[in-house]
Amino acid sequence: MVTFQHPASLNAFERYQQASWMLLHSTRATNPAWYQAALDLDVQLHIRVDGLCVSSFFYERCKEAWTIGPAITEADLRDTPKMETCAAEVLKQVRTFKASSLGVILHLADEFTTAELKPTFDNPAALLDLRETAVRKPTNILDDSSIPPEQNSWRVLPYPAQGSGVVGTTITITRKYAPFLTAFRNAGESSNFPIITHALSAPLVAIMGLAQSAQFAPGKSSVAILQYPWLSVLAFFNEHADLLLIRTLQHRHLRQAPNLRQALTTTYASLELIDPDLFILPLSLDLDPGLHRYLSDTFPLSRVAIVTYPTPEVVPDWCPELVIAATPPPKDDLAPSLTFSTFRSENWALQDFLPAATEVVEVYPTRAEMLLLRGLKLARMTLYTLTVLMLAWVVFGIVDIFCSDAWTFDPNQANVIKGRLRNLTHEHQKSEHWDNLLADRSKAWTSMELLSRLFPEHCGVLVRNFAHTVRPESAPGQTKIGFMKEWRITGLARDEAVDRLNTLNTQEGIAALFGEIARLTANPAFNPAVRTRSIAINVRTQENSGFKPLPLSETFDTDESTYPFNFDLTITQRFEAADPLALNVNKSP
Amino acid sequence: MNLYRQSIAMFGIVLPALGGVLFIALGFTLKSKMLDSLSNKQTLFESSKNSRIKALEIETKLTLQRPKISHWSVLLAEESSSAVNSHLRAIAETLPPKEFQKTAFERNNAKAGFGSATAQPSSQLRIVFRGTFRTMQRAFLELETSMPQLQLQELRIDPNPNPQIPSTLLNFQVNYTAWEN
Repeated sequence: MVTFQHPASLNAFERYQQASWMLLHSTRATNPAWYQAALDLDVQLHIRVDGLCVSSFFYERCKEAWTIGPAITEADLRDTPKMETCAAEVLKQVRTFKASSLGVILHLADEFTTAELKPTFDNPAALLDLRETAVRKPTNILDDSSIPPEQNSWRVLPYPAQGSGVVGTTITITRKYAPFLTAFRNAGESSNFPIITHALSAPLVAIMGLAQSAQFAPGKSSVAILQYPWLSVLAFFNEHADLLLIRTLQHRHLRQAPNLRQALTTTYASLELIDPDLFILPLSLDLDPGLHRYLSDTFPLSRVAIVTYPTPEVVPDWCPELVIAATPPPKDDLAPSLTFSTFRSENWALQDFLPAATEVVEVYPTRAEMLLLRGLKLARMTLYTLTVLMLAWVVFGIVDIFCSDAWTFDPNQANVIKGRLRNLTHEHQKSEHWDNLLADRSKAWTSMELLSRLFPEHCGVLVRNFAHTVRPESAPGQTKIGFMKEWRITGLARDEAVDRLNTLNTQEGIAALFGEIARLTANPAFNPAVRTRSIAINVRTQENSGFKPLPLSETFDTDESTYPFNFDLTITQRFEAADPLALNVNKSP
Repeated sequence: MNLYRQSIAMFGIVLPALGGVLFIALGFTLKSKMLDSLSNKQTLFESSKNSRIKALEIETKLTLQRPKISHWSVLLAEESSSAVNSHLRAIAETLPPKEFQKTAFERNNAKAGFGSATAQPSSQLRIVFRGTFRTMQRAFLELETSMPQLQLQELRIDPNPNPQIPSTLLNFQVNYTAWEN
């Protein structure tokens, strides 16, 4: 079995490791029984010790069924080796119930003593604080400071009745059975099976059960006499059935308390009770059967009744505490007084006298901590999954980046390509520049072809002069400039040539001629269809003053006097800066 | 009680969450830096890719133009006037001598015509011929085809000034702008 350290002795990380180990190797996170009270568990083992015998019964809460429990002897309760064997046997037996937990409830009927509270504690409102102090630091509240706290256990019990004089008392139980319950808890720990223990004071439980078993007469005080083999407990109730006082009388090896009558008489006097009803509860085998008659004779004015609690068939009627503790009364069963309702609802009668030591309990994480640990485990898994997914996404993204052409691209190559492009661009610009400069924009032979197409041989025209000039246009700041071409032709014309001159002297006529020249010479400068250029023609005709009319047979082409007209023809072609043949202004790059 | 709570919270979620956040932050930072770097490289890569495509396009064009350019380079490497004269001599050999006569040749380095409008170096050539119309046209065709750097500035054609002696010979005066390298 793993030995756990108290968390206070561990550093934070060791504490977390210990809790994680418990989460991993125990059912504390999944089985809520680890953190429930023994009386709330489905399978309970009730063990009753009254000094004469040890009785044990299993109780299956969901079935409300009682069965005979394992045979447990007084030795099993006291000898350590036997305790462990007993616990192992019980555990083995419990597994046959297919139970997931076991509540071990020890009913202590062999001892019951009271210890008075310090007289200073007289405030009923402080009872809850007193209850806690009795568990943690009993010497602070006990009137008798001589009782060793390490050997005993105290629990506060209130006296709800008004006029009782004190707010309550404490019930004292020795710790002699604590090792027995510890053995059960350890067996549960080592086998990862929740075994929750609870040590009850049987007389207190029996008193609580009076609500269902005793017939309290209205307006009549009463005394319950709980007969156990070694002791008798006297519980005094006022006329409202509220507890006034509890006393215990030791039998001192007799079958009943020797001083019962005196005790009753003196207490009657001190509590000012007048002939209260007497309820006798025989709570063991082999008790003095003459108590009823003795009391009837001794207190003839009191109603004496033997009270028994209805128990299941398996459970003997002399040990009703088991049934009272395990089965709460029906909710519609009204308690006869405040005492009984608070004893049940506030668990005054069901206080655990031998709980596990605080240091031991603190070794284990609380239920909330286990749930937190478990929840955080799931949260961590989610977190890890998310982290892994995110990282995977990042890694895939990085791999994608690594695989991209751009990532593997050598920046030096960019410079090489850039340099190559620069060189090629330069070469291309140079080429374009020279292509522009050397374009067929102005050629002598094409202008001569124009002249010969304007006036073919024997067309009745004698050309005197031909002048062709080309002038670039001025356009400061432009990268390209247009230019203007002009053809000026002067000569003589006969009648038959005048029609031709007139035809030429139209936009259509000259455009058609330019188009023909462009087609024949393949010279683009004559193409009239380009929008960025324009053609204008002007023909001026006048009479030839030297004209001498002669018969046609007597004329020859070079004789100027045979031509009746002079003409002056000017063709102007303008190329804009946007024209494909426009001239580059800049120098060759 | 609750002695474990702080440890559980600390080691159960706070530290793992911080670790997870740290890992994710590191991953994101790394990826972010790589993305920035990739973005720069991408720009460079795209620019380089475009440059390569452009270079290929230009290269394709230049492949077609290169013979022409090299031819031009040879032409432009020669001194214009001597080149014109040598071409005219070559042309004259193929033409009837009476129909093609160079009567004057003048070279002027001053900028004029097209040359005055551009920054490109050029020279002016003035040549005077006597010849028949078609022969001279043929001569000009040959000369201008052989020397595309000659841009015609002016052409004047005049008949024989003496009307008493009719002749088919005409006077031609041409002015060229010759582009220089």
